[in-house]
Amino acid sequence: MEKRLIKKETLAGIVGELAGKMRVCAPMKAEDQVLFRVLEAGEKPLVDFANAKNAPKNFFFPRTETLLKFTRTGKGMVRAGEPEEGEKTLLFGVRPCDARSFTLLDMLFDQEKYKDPYYIDKRAKTTIVAIACVHPPYTTCFCTSVGGNPTDSAGVDLLLTDLGNAYLAEFLTPKGEELLAAFGGSPSNAQAEKAKEGIAAKAAAEITSHIPAHEIKPILDTHFEDPFWNTLHQKCLACGTCTYLCPTCHCFDISDEVKRNDGIRIRNWDSCMFPMFTKETSGHNPRSSQKERWRQRVMHKFRYYPDNFNAIACVGCGRCVMACPVNLDIRKIVTDIAKI
Amino acid sequence: MQNPYIPAPVEVVKIVTEVDTKDIKTFRFAFQNKEDEAAFQYLPGQFAELSIFGKGESPIGIASSPTQPGYVEFTVQKAGVVTSALHEMEVGAVMGIRGPLGNSWPIDFLAGKNIVIVGGGFAFTTLRSLINYMIDDRNRSRFGKITVIYGARNPGLLIYKDELAAWAKRDDINLNVTVDKGDADWKGREGFVPTVCREVAPSSENAVTVICGPPVMIRFTLPVFFELGFSKENIITSLEMRMKCGIGKCGRCNVGEKYVCKDGPVFSLAELDKLTKEY
Ligand SMILES: Cc1cc2nc3c(=O)[nH]c(=O)nc-3n(C[C@H](O)[C@H](O)[C@H](O)COP(=O)(O)OP(=O)(O)OC[C@H]3O[C@@H](n4cnc5c(N)ncnc54)[C@H](O)[C@@H]3O)c2cc1C
Ligand code: SF4
Ligand code: SF4
Ligand code: FES
Repeated sequence: MEKRLIKKETLAGIVGELAGKMRVCAPMKAEDQVLFRVLEAGEKPLVDFANAKNAPKNFFFPRTETLLKFTRTGKGMVRAGEPEEGEKTLLFGVRPCDARSFTLLDMLFDQEKYKDPYYIDKRAKTTIVAIACVHPPYTTCFCTSVGGNPTDSAGVDLLLTDLGNAYLAEFLTPKGEELLAAFGGSPSNAQAEKAKEGIAAKAAAEITSHIPAHEIKPILDTHFEDPFWNTLHQKCLACGTCTYLCPTCHCFDISDEVKRNDGIRIRNWDSCMFPMFTKETSGHNPRSSQKERWRQRVMHKFRYYPDNFNAIACVGCGRCVMACPVNLDIRKIVTDIAKI
Repeated sequence: MQNPYIPAPVEVVKIVTEVDTKDIKTFRFAFQNKEDEAAFQYLPGQFAELSIFGKGESPIGIASSPTQPGYVEFTVQKAGVVTSALHEMEVGAVMGIRGPLGNSWPIDFLAGKNIVIVGGGFAFTTLRSLINYMIDDRNRSRFGKITVIYGARNPGLLIYKDELAAWAKRDDINLNVTVDKGDADWKGREGFVPTVCREVAPSSENAVTVICGPPVMIRFTLPVFFELGFSKENIITSLEMRMKCGIGKCGRCNVGEKYVCKDGPVFSLAELDKLTKEY
């Protein structure tokens, strides 16, 4: 694996220049928020930021995505092709928790049977450049409890770690190595790599939020019916914010839109927190109240995903904790489940 | 990479209105492309997404049997947007089919055993597929005795009437058709499905029951089969959940860790016992 040192003040410029040559998505200031978006040529991304408000899953699994097109004929609507394929993309400034979320989404969308070509195409054409969290940005971060850490390289092609005077750039994969020329820099050395180890240990130690995420699986296995679920959801507004911001949530709806003689079949993010999500035409709804929906959200992340993929479907980014309008905190819920 | 979201184009070649109320029709489709037809290899119990561009898709059990080549059939009740649009269709119209999806009735497990088929209402569709599959000349010797108990609320609501008449003439099916309440012309059996099951009393010896119908029918019929000595491993049923993708991605049809679209819809009672009770 190639490792380089990159001068700190040059990084944003390198990425800005790349934006003139290929599609680059990166965190940018948007009013008082930081959001991922596509850069204009020469536009410099943020390199000092906490994390983006929106999860970068949007670039592989867009909030709204056309699956296919159709058009009217004398015998009815017929298929008229699929949307164009994705283009080569650089996704810059991803935090390690979010990069790890891609490996979790891969398990589902890139399964042995039934591959999702839309996701896989964009994922294959995208190179992930992550910036390690030398100082975990939020008190709500709990990546170390769910299998990650602030300097983790899972799902990353090129990992940048701020050593104070320079970035250590680790070109982890062949895709990452394609960026060697553009990123330039000077050869790394033993001292820099030792410094990184120290920084990594300190960063992990700075995480103060710990939850027993790995301990609750056996409890969830045996407590589908439990008084615990009766009150948990009571404050929940069913707004869906938690699932829309979550980097690992993948549920979607499929619907058709028609304008005159042409139409598209699209998929939109959906949410298990919405009453309509499972409601059948007959009126029957197997998850008939918010109680069942909250239970589904917890079960999906901490029991069913482990059952199916041997992995917890939460990367500890804390977005749902910060954004929930009624302060429902997944960390507290997991902690409480461990006490059942 | 094959795109599982793209439906194969089909043409409506036949429509049969099954019931007096006219809200259940059987649609026969022919594939427009030979490759699509060859790729659509299915077994009884599987389903497909019927796709009408501009309206959407609905998961519907396959009512024909793979032993009947050249077409596929689905029996559909008019319910909401897609199924209503389907009911408006005429012979010659083109639309799409995406599938086959899901697992199937466990054919290998059923082979060599006596088979008891219990159906209620129009949920009889994939059971019809199974019956036609088993009684096909090439398959009949693979299965033991076949007992069918099928009921509807009244004679006008029985589906596949011509086929019922044809099966009644065969001596290798014990066919028991019943209605909750007959009319002036009805000469057959009257009585609820659970009662008829008790009367027919199929032996549980080397036997498997395959049951599909409205939840109340199933609730009152299962105790009868337990009394007859059928174990939960030997009672097989099919679940229904709201679906979209049909391939285990969109996240809405799970019962516990299983996706009904991909891991189901067919489960034995023993398998269902291990899952959460959320369907
Ligand atoms: C495995 C399986 C097999 C089925 N087999 C048959 C059959 O053989 N004949 C038949 O008439 N019906 C069958 N159904 C039920 C049928 O799918 C629904 O009645 C149908 O989807 C209603 O769609 P709609 O667009 O008319 O109604 P709308 O209310 O407009 O439905 C909107 C969408 O919600 C989804 N949806 C709503 N209700 C259901 C439901 N009960 N199950 C699954 N998805 C739903 C569909 O994607 C549907 O397009 C089956 C369902 C499943 C899951
Ligand atoms: S559940 Fe919450 S903390 Fe976990 S990955 Fe999703 S948004 Fe982040
Ligand atoms: S963000 Fe909070 S209020 Fe909104 S659906 Fe999630 S838990 Fe409920
Ligand atoms: S229908 Fe989408 S997961 Fe089953």
